Amino acid sequence: MNRILKTLITITLLFAASVSVAQTDDEQLKVAAMEALITAPPERALPIVQKVLAGNGSDELKERALFILSQIDSDEAQAALLNAANSTTGELRLEAVRMIGIGGNAETMQALSGLYDSGDEDMKDAVLEAYLIADDDEAVFQIANNAEDPDEFENAVEMLGAMRATDKLAQLRETKGTSEGLITAFMIAGDEDTLLEMYRSSDDVDEKREIMEMLVAMDAEGIWEIIDQALGDQ
Amino acid sequence: MNEDNDKLSAEQLQQIKDATRAAPPPHVVARWHDAIDSAAEREAIAARPKPQSFSPSSFFWGAAITAAVAFGVAIGVFIGNDKPVMTETYANVEAAPQAQPASAFSRGLQVHFQQSRQDLTRLDNTVNGERAELVMNIVQQNRLFARMAKQNDSEDLARVLRAFEPVLLRLSSEDITPEEAERLRSQLAFELDIVLTKLSQRASDRTDAIET
Repeated sequence: MNRILKTLITITLLFAASVSVAQTDDEQLKVAAMEALITAPPERALPIVQKVLAGNGSDELKERALFILSQIDSDEAQAALLNAANSTTGELRLEAVRMIGIGGNAETMQALSGLYDSGDEDMKDAVLEAYLIADDDEAVFQIANNAEDPDEFENAVEMLGAMRATDKLAQLRETKGTSEGLITAFMIAGDEDTLLEMYRSSDDVDEKREIMEMLVAMDAEGIWEIIDQALGDQ
Repeated sequence: MNEDNDKLSAEQLQQIKDATRAAPPPHVVARWHDAIDSAAEREAIAARPKPQSFSPSSFFWGAAITAAVAFGVAIGVFIGNDKPVMTETYANVEAAPQAQPASAFSRGLQVHFQQSRQDLTRLDNTVNGERAELVMNIVQQNRLFARMAKQNDSEDLARVLRAFEPVLLRLSSEDITPEEAERLRSQLAFELDIVLTKLSQRASDRTDAIET
């Protein structure tokens, strides 16, 4: 390789590296500026955050802007979050839904059901997660109760389990009957008593086996008596 | 009850044994050990040292304390199993002197956020299962503080704390790409910084109000 070519390559690499460092520094500066916004009065911070969201900045910077919005207690901030959830795409859109959960504003939360109904699997998961964050077990219950797709039902009841909403799970059991998803949900909720009762009242051997697996995994107190009974005639 | 249905075949029992041998998913493990680690963390909040640099021995002591508390909690659970463990935790929090809860909670929360922030910076230096273990430790503490925030009528803080958990669980996953891990870690660090700043402001406002 001749000397001119080597020099050209070196200059190109140095230039690329310097641009990359400059971009990183610029991004870090923007993030630091975004962080400082939390100490500013909301009326000053809000227009700046909205400008960032509408601009050409990176998704990472916009994600941080969304978090700042979630921390501003105003209708405008909530409207901006909802707008981001409706108008952005990809991870940013899902992040906007998470921020609506963090904001916990009742009116904005109501809009999540529309996003759930029209959304794909990722959006549905994001909405369920937002309900978990906002501790809105009634909304998750409604999704489970109205679910026609078994996977949707399962995801919703497991989320209720994570929220320890055992009363809602009991209601669903009454109306929909026992299912694999509900058994798992009661396990996630740590409700040993209900699982033991389900085991004793079930006439289905496969279902009993499934419940027993859960109780063994939970190291439930009553499991040894059940195993003893099950081994009775072995 | 149908007695025949209580008796499972040897094959079915073997299937159960096989199923229980398989490692459960991390979030399920976390859920089971929630109460135990919550109790351990309650101890830690009361006397948590200043954040220190990472030391492998911290895992040993963490495990030792957890084991000791687990033994104590287990006795409580198996002797008097009519109340969830967390209810006892709440009872202890509520039984603290009236003047302490809000400020003690706030201070404990600040330490938790600072510690979590520091733990996040250590993630890059972890290998194999260490990252999952480190993240799950943060998750355990996070759950405790989320419940305490709710108890202290700090619903806004409780929501933020609950929001950290799904991100932390994603971070603990072994199949995540380094780029995705870095994106999640930096976003989480940013959120922790913001909440820490807000908490400091609140504390400062309270101090001003007392002084005036």
